[in-house]
Amino acid sequence: MDLRFTEAQEILRKMARDFLATECPKTLVRELEKSEEGYSLELWKKMAELGWMGLVIPEKYEGMGYTFQDLTVLLEETGRNILPGPLIPTVISTFPILKAGTEEQKEDLLPKIARGEVIITTALLEAEGTFNASGIAAKATPKGNDFIINGTKLFAEMAHVANYIICVTRTNDTTPPEEGITIFLVDSKTTGIRCEVIPSIAADKLCEVRFENVTVPKKNILGKIDKGWPIVEMMLRKGAIAKCAESIGAIQTCVEMTVAYSKERVQYDRPIGAFQALQHIMADMWTSMQTSRYLVYKAAWMESEGQPCAKEASLAKAYVNEVYKNVGKWAVRLHGAIATSYDHDIPLYYRRSKAADIAFGGTDFHRELVAQEIGLI
Amino acid sequence: MDFELTEEEKAHRKEFFEVCKELEGKRPASFVGFEATYEIDECWEYHLYCAKEFAKRGWLALGWPSEYGGTGTMMDQVLFAEARGYHRIPGFDIFGVQMLAPTLLQAASDSIKKKFLSPIARGEVMWCELWSEPNAGSDLATLTATAIKKGDEYIINGQKTWNTGAHRSDWGFGIFKTDPAARKHHNLTFILLDMKTPGITVRPIPYMDGGAPFCEVYFDDAHVPAENIVGQENEGWAVVNLLAGFERSGMVEIMAMFHELEELVKYCNETKRNGQLLSRDPIIRNRVAQLACELEAARAIAYRIADLQNRNEMALMDASAAKIFYSELGERFAFFATDIAGPYGQVKTSRWAPVHGAWEKAFQECFVTTISMGANEIQRNIIAWYGLGLPRMK
Repeated sequence: MDLRFTEAQEILRKMARDFLATECPKTLVRELEKSEEGYSLELWKKMAELGWMGLVIPEKYEGMGYTFQDLTVLLEETGRNILPGPLIPTVISTFPILKAGTEEQKEDLLPKIARGEVIITTALLEAEGTFNASGIAAKATPKGNDFIINGTKLFAEMAHVANYIICVTRTNDTTPPEEGITIFLVDSKTTGIRCEVIPSIAADKLCEVRFENVTVPKKNILGKIDKGWPIVEMMLRKGAIAKCAESIGAIQTCVEMTVAYSKERVQYDRPIGAFQALQHIMADMWTSMQTSRYLVYKAAWMESEGQPCAKEASLAKAYVNEVYKNVGKWAVRLHGAIATSYDHDIPLYYRRSKAADIAFGGTDFHRELVAQEIGLI
Repeated sequence: MDFELTEEEKAHRKEFFEVCKELEGKRPASFVGFEATYEIDECWEYHLYCAKEFAKRGWLALGWPSEYGGTGTMMDQVLFAEARGYHRIPGFDIFGVQMLAPTLLQAASDSIKKKFLSPIARGEVMWCELWSEPNAGSDLATLTATAIKKGDEYIINGQKTWNTGAHRSDWGFGIFKTDPAARKHHNLTFILLDMKTPGITVRPIPYMDGGAPFCEVYFDDAHVPAENIVGQENEGWAVVNLLAGFERSGMVEIMAMFHELEELVKYCNETKRNGQLLSRDPIIRNRVAQLACELEAARAIAYRIADLQNRNEMALMDASAAKIFYSELGERFAFFATDIAGPYGQVKTSRWAPVHGAWEKAFQECFVTTISMGANEIQRNIIAWYGLGLPRMK
């Protein structure tokens, strides 16, 4: 057991931290929130040069060949700084291709992803808003060598700028919900696809994607017909851990900013950080951060080692969701009125805590998975 | 970053769990909650028996230097704690083995180490802690019990209180004022004393649940050899701080809660209310799962502390955070389990009690971890002042 980052991970951390501090100031974050695209192409290209989109892609497809754990190390830094754009959607959507893609699909797409030429996202949720298979109603009907997709997907992050959309569809109504799901790799330019950005708390460009008689060739199926749900579960698991890593970074910034401010802000002739009422809240913020941290690191390690970790991923996500929201809330409260203004950095984090909670499954969704894993019948 | 245990560690862990499981089979039915060790005669006998079983395997000296009979590694200590916690086995004197022994190894003279370490490792001498006084709790350094040197002895007068198991223990380690004229923190000496010394009177304090794990200890001209001190005279405060750092790993309590969670799940899977199993109630499922999340978070930070300690690095902030977190999780667990049990949540150990009355006991016993070993409010001060660098209260 050695719970320190490796030397290579420390280098990755420092590089990411320095890069983001220079290239992604909060002025840019706010600008991108208000922009239509929600990401900076210039920044995206620089990230590609650093190999971020191809971090977990094997070297033979022009990636870096790093581990999942390395990815979480990077995401902790993007969370610490805040990095708007399609990094997480693209990286998480890469996993189904790696896992279930044909050699042709891999050779075609993976190098382009690694080079930053292709953005991918996943269209999973629908009107009901559940992360369970029962919520998938979008229908894919076979027709010759193609499938025709009809339905409306919601909350597909950055779909409006994506080149490909991984679309989770229902291909069988007569089986249990999990057994009739098929995943398609869809070119976003295909006729019949319409995309609209949903205004949301983190302005992270979650989209409604409407599929109206969209023709997709059979060869674009990822995995096997009707057997797509385990791939979705894998994405949700990796996505949940990835999002937790990002949240840990954000939580750390909230704690650091709050402690620093409390040492500067003077009321009643002393820094407000001298008051025990505030000190104990900050101690609790730190405690909840640190208890989250090693829960997440353990899940990331297990995922990276290929160990079964559905339980650990859900334990971590259910726990960290609540910690991030609470630490974010206290960061606003302890800063006082100043941190309620749009131009302050703290609310950038606070608003993202709600988005992070929902992404890849909210607290109650993951608690139910935990309940099953610990043997409640 | 690597959470994997070595093959050797895995083998040791397996052995720790096997032995503790076997000892669990011999545990008296009256042993409910950890404090039973001190409260009930047959539980104390069981504690002494387990201590001997551990001692003969060298497990009371894990991670010690070999010259004092040490075996194994610091990591073995952690794995052993997991096994004892999960199977709820006493036999590991937290005052002697967990707190005093590492303190002696770091701060005591060779002669003190030679005299006291070996009986601890053999499980022959049980210790108690003599720190708090009626008017010196969290602000311990304001204590007033005195040890005045006369010739080659200290003569001790005053009162200590909240001394766990003092009525059972053979020896005690205490902190006494040796120079009433000197300034705070530089007037205290850390003294080891035989509890059978004439002039020492021990009285158990009835606890709210009817047991008596804690005592008050009166000193009336008790003569103690002056050689039995740790560290320098009047510099005992540094020893107190050193020792306090060995109190807070929490792995035993955390693993005990893992076992209790399994019992809770079993209870929910078997108990019907309003025509359905408790386990089918979405609210109950949600709350049990929440406990499971918090428990895993507690274990994760306990491993973090173990990892630091394995490399002899300080874990001050993490240890305080872990102590706050696991002890308050213990409160939440007790509240929740007694809620779930409905009217049975109030029943003491008897044929009506779920899980032998462990939950009712936990509802009252949970303060042992939140208040002792540095109250959680003090732990929050430690994080704020020494960790986050916030201004110290004057």
